[in-house]
Amino acid sequence: MCTPSIRQRHPHRVCVIGGGGSGAALAYDLSLRGFLVTLFEKGELTSGTTGRHHGQLHSGARYAVGDRDIARECMEETLVLRRIVPDAIEYNGGVFIATDDAEADYAPAFIAACNEAGIPAREVPIAEARSWEPAITPTARRTVWVPDGSFDAFRVPLSFFAAARRLGATIRPFTEVVSIDVTAGTARSVTVRRAGSDHDERVDCDYIVSATGAWAGIVGAMAGFDVPVTPAPGTMVAVRGRVTDMVLSRLAPPGDGDIIVPQRGLSIIGTTQRVVDNPDGILPDDDDVAFLLRRADELAPGFSARAVHAIWAAARPLAGASTGDGREISRDFMVLDHPGMATLIGGKATVLRAMAEKAADHVCGVFCVNEPCRTRDFILPTWRDWYTEAL
Amino acid sequence: MSSGSKSASSVPLLVRVRNGDAFAEYRLDAEPQRTVLDILEMLRSCGEAVPAYRHSCHHGSCGTCGAIINGVEALMCLTTVASLASPRPRLPGGPAVEPERDGRGAFVVSLEPLAKMAVISGIAVSPGAALAGIPLDAAYLGSVPDDGRSPLPPEPPAARVESAVWRPAGRRPAGRVRFEACIECGLCVSACPVAVPFIGPAALAAINREREKRPERAAAMRALAAAPDGVGPCGRHLACSRVCPQAVYPGKHIQLLRTALAQADTAGR
Repeated sequence: MCTPSIRQRHPHRVCVIGGGGSGAALAYDLSLRGFLVTLFEKGELTSGTTGRHHGQLHSGARYAVGDRDIARECMEETLVLRRIVPDAIEYNGGVFIATDDAEADYAPAFIAACNEAGIPAREVPIAEARSWEPAITPTARRTVWVPDGSFDAFRVPLSFFAAARRLGATIRPFTEVVSIDVTAGTARSVTVRRAGSDHDERVDCDYIVSATGAWAGIVGAMAGFDVPVTPAPGTMVAVRGRVTDMVLSRLAPPGDGDIIVPQRGLSIIGTTQRVVDNPDGILPDDDDVAFLLRRADELAPGFSARAVHAIWAAARPLAGASTGDGREISRDFMVLDHPGMATLIGGKATVLRAMAEKAADHVCGVFCVNEPCRTRDFILPTWRDWYTEAL
Repeated sequence: MSSGSKSASSVPLLVRVRNGDAFAEYRLDAEPQRTVLDILEMLRSCGEAVPAYRHSCHHGSCGTCGAIINGVEALMCLTTVASLASPRPRLPGGPAVEPERDGRGAFVVSLEPLAKMAVISGIAVSPGAALAGIPLDAAYLGSVPDDGRSPLPPEPPAARVESAVWRPAGRRPAGRVRFEACIECGLCVSACPVAVPFIGPAALAAINREREKRPERAAAMRALAAAPDGVGPCGRHLACSRVCPQAVYPGKHIQLLRTALAQADTAGR
């Protein structure tokens, strides 16, 4: 794993819109494949959904029963990220906890699904799980070890940005795309405005990828494309202190308030889900807080007695239109092909690199570039590298 | 405008955000549990042209949303309306005084960019200068003691990462791990009154942590601390420790470095 070099440069200029996790990984992947990349983010990098993530590095266990493919991909990406951004991951494993009979009965199907997806989940005696983490409820009915962890949702993307910039990508935070010129199926330019400036700047390009997550509908409309995306915010509550070092989850199909993620000096209970039209200005739903703390106590009694550190919300970028609370929409991601432009939507933070790979494959196809993805192969620079060059 | 439903407990605010030589001003009522960052986000989503500001995690983990709030460095995401409407210091370590109210009874909330950093726009800064002294390869993961708990189970083969080369020096901490408490927010650097060339409290805290965690680098870390811009210029004002949102207490680390330098000096004599 040495420093990557670009094997062959192409003259194609790609504008990436959106400075979240997937945009970061995409700027790096496209640069590595020889494209000339310019990325625009209207605010600070990762100021949309990415940074507000609770930080769970998903082994995929949570998704295994519902979708083996997503689960397998999470497991693969967990291993990749642990190799390429090792400093930004707290890898301590996780425990799924059955709190009642129904959840205990779910264990065999859960473990089988995990194993089918390549996730080495295994049931462990409750006493053993509680010897690792005594905070686990003494009324647990069954406990299953899984290879979960947590990561720094700000510093992982920053490492990708630093890697992209080292390969020549131009990363422009605080620069908002105000219009997109795609004419007769060909991308021509984007027009951008720097924060605090009244002056518009036209940036010519040969292709555009929108990696704007919950904002993809708004950005797609700028170019006249209909992008079905459902912003689905969830509330999270962080309490002070680490209840556990391992990630705790409820042994049940994914629902509200069923994950406790330790992160630095905090323990975070997440999350809830609702659907909104506008992804901007998302505030936590106050009614969610008591509910989340109560649910956390069922996994780790005493959680709610700790001092609350922060309450916040983030909008998941669900791919598709929803008629309900969005839970019926898959957490998978997809690349939507518009003439001259593509939109990358859906997905989860853990699979940011895989999302970028798929989008970069698409761009390669458009330009008949035969260059494989190599983003698994190199350890990324530290996020501190981003700040050194930004002096 | 108001934040959600205007209740009896809503707090009237005059929010002033530095924008170059001027302030952009907004009047609103906000619920006491909302944070300064929530308020800026609400204003922006309502179509107000809010000067640029940094933010990412909204829970005090990323370290991007630092600002000087009514004279004291703090993270906007952890500063609530309730705290702004209560007695609080007007400078780091100062006495708590009644909050300023304008002629209409609104609590004044002034937001200024952090000091000693290049302003990008509004109150958004580039923290590179403040963080430049932190060794690039300082380990960010540290070991967590088991504290009477059983050691974590070994990873099964399918969850093992064999080929990783951990920075620095290819060594990952064993057992339970967690990130350093320091979130590299730069509040300590902004609050530090030292005006001569100084590597700064954030860097010295990181240098001391690296010295503690990795004995093989202790001498190199002591050399950084002993340099002219190392611990010498620190005047023990402790503003750094008072504004730290993570209880890192950089002042303590600076003192530990001084002690380590003195001990190494004695040992070398």
